[in-house]
Amino acid sequence: MHPEKQKHDFEPKIIAFVCTWCTYAGADLAGTSRMQYPSNVRVLKFPCTGRIDPVFILKAFQQGADGVLVSGCHPGDCHYIAGNFHARRRFATFRKLLEFVGVDLQRLQFSWVSAAEGGKWVEMVTDLTERVRGMGPMVEFKELAMEEQWSGAINTEELKEAYEAI
Amino acid sequence: MTMIDTTSYTLISEAIKTEAKRILTDGTVTAVVGYAAARRKGSVQPIVITTPEDADKLLFSKGAVNNLAVYLTKAKKEIPKTGRIGIVVKGCDLKALVGLMGESQLKRENLYLIGIPCSGVLGSIIQPDTELTEDTIAPKCLECDVHMPTGCDFIPQGAPITPELEKKYAAEIARLEALTPAERWSYWKEQFSKCIKCYACRQVCPFCFCEQCLCDRNKPQMVESTPRPAGNFAWHVIRAMHLAGRCAGCAECERVCPMDIPLNLLNRKMAKELKELYDHEAGLEINEKGPLSMFNEKDDQSFIK
Repeated sequence: MHPEKQKHDFEPKIIAFVCTWCTYAGADLAGTSRMQYPSNVRVLKFPCTGRIDPVFILKAFQQGADGVLVSGCHPGDCHYIAGNFHARRRFATFRKLLEFVGVDLQRLQFSWVSAAEGGKWVEMVTDLTERVRGMGPMVEFKELAMEEQWSGAINTEELKEAYEAI
Repeated sequence: MTMIDTTSYTLISEAIKTEAKRILTDGTVTAVVGYAAARRKGSVQPIVITTPEDADKLLFSKGAVNNLAVYLTKAKKEIPKTGRIGIVVKGCDLKALVGLMGESQLKRENLYLIGIPCSGVLGSIIQPDTELTEDTIAPKCLECDVHMPTGCDFIPQGAPITPELEKKYAAEIARLEALTPAERWSYWKEQFSKCIKCYACRQVCPFCFCEQCLCDRNKPQMVESTPRPAGNFAWHVIRAMHLAGRCAGCAECERVCPMDIPLNLLNRKMAKELKELYDHEAGLEINEKGPLSMFNEKDDQSFIK
C-alpha cells in the first residue's frame, strides 16, 4: 500500500518552529489528508511566531539540527493580530546577523503556512529536507560544541619554551 | 599622521567646573556625574560629586573615554535616584541616554545634560598620556556624527575640529562581507574563542540593564555559561541580537574587552542592516519604539516563502 521508502546515506534533522493557529493546523491537515512528507521534521508548537525567540533557532543548531524551519500565519492573519509582523522584523534582522557570522542561510527557512495549506506545508518540509540532505550535516556548530577553549595540548613548542625559561 | 587638536578641552574643563558649581549651589541638581583626574598622568576616571566644593575635580580630556550613561541605568545603584542629576555627556553618550529615555528608563526632566563639543577621545587608556592622533583615536570617533551634541541644558563654548579620516568599522565590515560564509565563520570562531566570559561587555553596556540576563538563566539554559567556544559563540550572537536597533555605538564593549574581541563590529553591522531594512539610526531624538518593537505591514518579506 505504501510506496517503498527510499534509503538515504544521510537523514537530516529538521526542527520546525510553528505557530499553533496556522502552521500547526496546516500540518495537522496534511496528516489528516494522508499526505506524505519526510519524517525528518520535528515539530515544535508555539502560541505564535512572535513567541519564537531567535535564541531558539541558535539553540536548535547547537543541539544538532541540520536545518530549521520557522513557520506561522500569513501577514494579517495572526491570531494575536500583530505577532507575525513583529516576528518578521526580528527574523529579518537575525538572518543578517547569522549571515555575518558565517552561517549558511540555506539551512534556515521561514514561511507562512495557513491552516488550509496542508499541501504547502508538505512542500516546505520536503524542499528543506532535500536541500539540507544535499548540503550534508551541519558540522560547524557540532565542531564548535566539541571544542575546548584552549587546544588542550600541553607539549607545544611555545609552552616548552616558556617552561625552559622559568 | 594626522594629529587631532584637543586644545579646546582645557576651556571646556573650566566651563564644566563653573557650571557644575553653579547647579550644585543653587540646588538644580543633587549630584553631577562627570570625569575627574585619576592617578596616572593624563588618565581620567568617572566621578559622582554632590557638593559644590568637589566641582573643581571635574574635567574633560582626551582620556575621558567612559560612557557615563551606564551609571544612570537601573543595573547600577550607586547614584541617588532622588532629584535631578547632572551628567557630562559626549555625543555618543548622549545617544545612549536618549535610547534609555526612549525605553522609559530615564526621564528627561530628571537630567541636567552638560554636553561636550568633542573632537574625539583615545581608543585605549593603557597609555593615557599619548597624543590624540589618527592612530590613537577611538575608531568610533572616526564615524561620529554628533561631535556637537544638541538639546543639552548646557554646552561649553568650543567647536570640535574633526579632520576627515578613514572609517575603520565600515572598511572592516566591507572586508568581512566580501568573504565566503566559511571564511567569516572561521574569523568569528577565532575571535569568539578568545572570550573568557568575564561579561565586562555586559557590565559596561548602558542597554544591558535587565534584572536577570537571559544568559544567566539555567532553567532552561539557553546559553552555555562556561567559556567554551560553543557558549561564547551563542553569547556574542545573542548580545548582538539584543542590542540590534538599540545600540548607540559608544563602543564601550569593545574598549573594555580584555581579550580584544571586535565586539562593536557586530553592533555596527547590525546598525547598518537596520538602517537599510527599516531606515533606523540611533540619534538624538527620543523614540518610544525601536525598530524591532514596531512594524510596518509593508516590511520586506522576500526571505519568507
